[in-house]
Amino acid sequence: MSILTKDEDLKVLGIISEFANIGAGSAATALSHLLDVDLMNDVTTCEILPLAKVADWLGGGNQIVAGTYTYLCGELKSGILVVFPQDSAVSLLGHLTKADISLSKLTELQKSALREVGNICLCWYLIAVSKMVDIDMIPAPPDATVDYLGAVLNVPLATLGAKVDTVIAVHTSFKALDRQFDGYFLMLPEASTLNIILERMGEHCR
Amino acid sequence: MNDLTVVGIAQLAVSRPPSRLACLGLGSCVAVILYDPVLKLGGIVHILLPKAPNHHDLDAKYADTGTKKLVEEMIKHGATKARVFARLVGGAEMFTAVNLAISNIGRENILEARKALHDSSIRIMAEETAGKKGRSVYFDLETGKVLVQTAFGSERVI
Repeated sequence: MSILTKDEDLKVLGIISEFANIGAGSAATALSHLLDVDLMNDVTTCEILPLAKVADWLGGGNQIVAGTYTYLCGELKSGILVVFPQDSAVSLLGHLTKADISLSKLTELQKSALREVGNICLCWYLIAVSKMVDIDMIPAPPDATVDYLGAVLNVPLATLGAKVDTVIAVHTSFKALDRQFDGYFLMLPEASTLNIILERMGEHCR
Repeated sequence: MNDLTVVGIAQLAVSRPPSRLACLGLGSCVAVILYDPVLKLGGIVHILLPKAPNHHDLDAKYADTGTKKLVEEMIKHGATKARVFARLVGGAEMFTAVNLAISNIGRENILEARKALHDSSIRIMAEETAGKKGRSVYFDLETGKVLVQTAFGSERVI
């Protein structure tokens, strides 16, 4: 990515991680209230990756996940996803809809519930980071799908890939303390957005 | 079943048996699969976007330049154009609601790949494209068969 020189890489990744950390913390709190479980966030990791490697970095394109995706289309441009692995999506939907869940045959209500959970998480993520950098964020209506991870990532990567060959992927995973439930947030900012975030975060730190 | 090479986004691979080529989790991406049955030489390009801009680094990222490059690579490895045929997989519409910036990118990819193959005078023997489901592709170079899987088990050989 052209804006990053080698020496600055680590520092920039650190700032972006901190930014995402605050968003993810807020989103995990919302999710935790919604589902009535105690969630814990892992350390945010942030990596500069070629397009081909993003799915591998997240554990391989062939795993089946439930992903909710939205795209910021205001001043800041970034793809944001919340991703639940298969088992967690089943337990989440089972908990919310009190029904037996088969991910291959989701009803409209179950799909809608999945979309809404994603929506709530992503909006809390955005509210927190938006307050921090004092910029309004305008997300597109989110959409959810259950499919291969590679396929879920295609649309966000295609959006970014039109301009660049490497992306910055910001990944925060969360897991429940008392039962088997985990997932992660993924932010894929555009280069111009990264500059704005760095600028604002710099002011914030001073 | 060893020697599986995974072809990632914007990557291109040409190979011979006993190796196998795969693209895992194709959504709106399209895999253009070429095969020369006499040499048992096969190639895949995993394309992300339809049309290449004037300045670009990765040919394999775009349907038009990627397909052309794959044809060139196949010929460089000894394939004869008249024998080579193509199969297309992918190009699904993953998120219908969030298509503000990019309209149905999957369909554009398919159309552009078809056009590029037509321009290179290569026949398309089979397609497993469009729809709303992601696909994984396994290409066995020994038999020339392409196995297409979708999430939750449905399988088809083309």
